[in-house]
Amino acid sequence: MNFCVCIKQVPDVSAPIQVRGGELVMDAGRVVLNAYDASAIEEALVLTEEHGGEVDVLLIGPERATETIRKALAMGAARGTHLVVPEEAELDSAAVSALLARHLEGKGYDVIATGKQAQDTDAGLAGSMLAERLGLPYATNAVGLAVEDDVLVVTRQGDGGQEVIALPTPCLVTCSNDMNDPRIPKLKGVMAAKKKPVETVAVDEVPAASVRVLRYEPVPQREPGETIEGEPAEQAAEVVRRLHEASVL
Amino acid sequence: MPTILSFVALSNGQLTRASLEVLTRCRALAAEQGADLAAVVLAPNAGAAGAAAEAAQRYGAQTVYTVADPAFEHALNAPVLQALEAVIEKAQPSLVAFPSTEGVKDVLGALAVRTGGAVVADVAEFEMKDGGVEALRPVMAAKFLARTRAEAAAGTPVLVSVRSGSYVAEESPVAGTVEAVALESRRPQQTLREVVAGVAGGVDLADARVVVAAGRGVKDDAARRLVEELAEVTGAAIGASRAVVETGMFPATAQIGQTGKVVSPEVYFAVGVSGAIQHVAGMSNSRIIVAVNNNADAPIFDVATYGLVGDLYEVLPALIAEIKNSSA
Ligand SMILES: Cc1cc2nc3c(=O)[nH]c(=O)nc-3n(C[C@H](O)[C@H](O)[C@H](O)COP(=O)(O)OP(=O)(O)OC[C@H]3O[C@@H](n4cnc5c(N)ncnc54)[C@H](O)[C@@H]3O)c2cc1C
Ligand SMILES: Nc1ncnc2c1ncn2[C@@H]1O[C@H](COP(=O)(O)O)[C@@H](O)[C@H]1O
Repeated sequence: MNFCVCIKQVPDVSAPIQVRGGELVMDAGRVVLNAYDASAIEEALVLTEEHGGEVDVLLIGPERATETIRKALAMGAARGTHLVVPEEAELDSAAVSALLARHLEGKGYDVIATGKQAQDTDAGLAGSMLAERLGLPYATNAVGLAVEDDVLVVTRQGDGGQEVIALPTPCLVTCSNDMNDPRIPKLKGVMAAKKKPVETVAVDEVPAASVRVLRYEPVPQREPGETIEGEPAEQAAEVVRRLHEASVL
Repeated sequence: MPTILSFVALSNGQLTRASLEVLTRCRALAAEQGADLAAVVLAPNAGAAGAAAEAAQRYGAQTVYTVADPAFEHALNAPVLQALEAVIEKAQPSLVAFPSTEGVKDVLGALAVRTGGAVVADVAEFEMKDGGVEALRPVMAAKFLARTRAEAAAGTPVLVSVRSGSYVAEESPVAGTVEAVALESRRPQQTLREVVAGVAGGVDLADARVVVAAGRGVKDDAARRLVEELAEVTGAAIGASRAVVETGMFPATAQIGQTGKVVSPEVYFAVGVSGAIQHVAGMSNSRIIVAVNNNADAPIFDVATYGLVGDLYEVLPALIAEIKNSSA
């Protein structure tokens, strides 16, 4: 089975990031492979190691995002495609999925995998949008994948429990990071990645976003809290009294 | 007259609190915009659909579209998409609002493509302005808010999903109409093999008034029993951090945070949770946060209303005893 995993380069949320004048100010160097996409790659690698086939990756991003493709190749992906957009391009999930769909049309992958959401947008939309554009059956929020002949068996996390769904291929799946722990590339993989093919395609027309960010804002701080001192019994008595006062118990 | 359509979700035969919050918000927007308020409910049978429609009318839905079909017994996305597409086609809404559940996340993007509309997911606030929808949504594990503007092509809706706890549900009954919409049968592409249910009969996490959440500090059965007992005496739903779900002590369905669920109870007990931003992303909207942690420097104390520095094996028994006493 051949997989194509759609991957995104995202800011590292553990790096210092500030809002200034409605814009996010961050260190352009502190970027990572979206954690959910890393899990999608890991699962695709495990399945192809077991059942045969290859894993390709597809990324939309500015020039510098190529390093994220190299990371995926170092993990074990076979080849990468980089749809290059200008640094300042404003892409919402609709625009991203439109570009991905345009590229993937007719490519013949058995499974297209995406992250369940991008760590920066937290939108969780591009996956199912892409499936709909390509007319593929899909499942979201996968926490486990298995291959049975031409069928992808997806265990997904739902509201009240997990559902096991069989999807005929070709299909699309969006992946949770609860699925696995992505491998850390070894030196050998990093060296091998340098020789793997990466096709770059300049995107001459970026689709207009239907959702635009007007500005970023800091999150309003919660009221400062207080530490309840004392022995456990005293702490308990004090907190329970406060909770009764607030009529929440 | 323009229409605003509110999707209401059922859980154990009842409309969820988050659905009613969204419906209440849509009622205010409809009044402000001079629009009709409609609701849509998908239910496994006509009885459940009827009961849900009545409940939606109590919250002001003038028209309730019901789609009753056994397909909705289970959470496969194809029939849900098909039904929502049909209802949107009928109602011609300018705005469709949803509670942000896993079930909704499963279809939202695809539905936007299918209807040709625009979509904004997981908002904390939204309003209709100058022919578009402006919303405030947490981004980057809720580290920042993005103020966004969505504009849909003429004749297509803006779809919005709303985080639970963003609005307060209030009744305002109307005598409205109920319109049943049939689901055309189609050959299913996906098939459901199995449902691995979460905690049966437990309190629904997203709707819970009290949540007791366990973190990796909850290391053994004795600690887990304390968490369960605290949940019992407070009538709470049990939540969990990702780290403790990984140990297998709590089901993944209980996970709260960026990957897991977003909850907004009146009281959130964080027990042995360090307070990583990815966890806080799912609970910072709780009204009161009580944190129990033996490390005074744990970041959870930065968001806690009441911080109890101490060993959970000592603090939890004291809390449980005190709550039992005080309500006896
Ligand atoms: C993309 C991404 C998404 C993520 N999504 C989520 C998510 O949805 N939900 C989530 O929770 N995490 C999520 N995480 C993981 C998150 O970053 C943290 O690793 C996780 O929340 C840590 O869980 P914890 O607080 O239980 O464990 P730890 O960080 O190990 O904290 C355990 C705490 O218990 C305390 N403790 C230990 N013993 C005791 C005792 N006897 N009494 C009292 N206190 C004690 C310790 O002082 C410590 O503070 C995500 C991470 C990434 C990268
Ligand atoms: N720039 C991008 N390039 C490739 N794939 C992307 C890009 N942006 C988003 N995706 C994919 O779509 C998923 C969901 O993104 P989002 O809708 O922004 O939450 C991500 O996990 C990726 O798999």
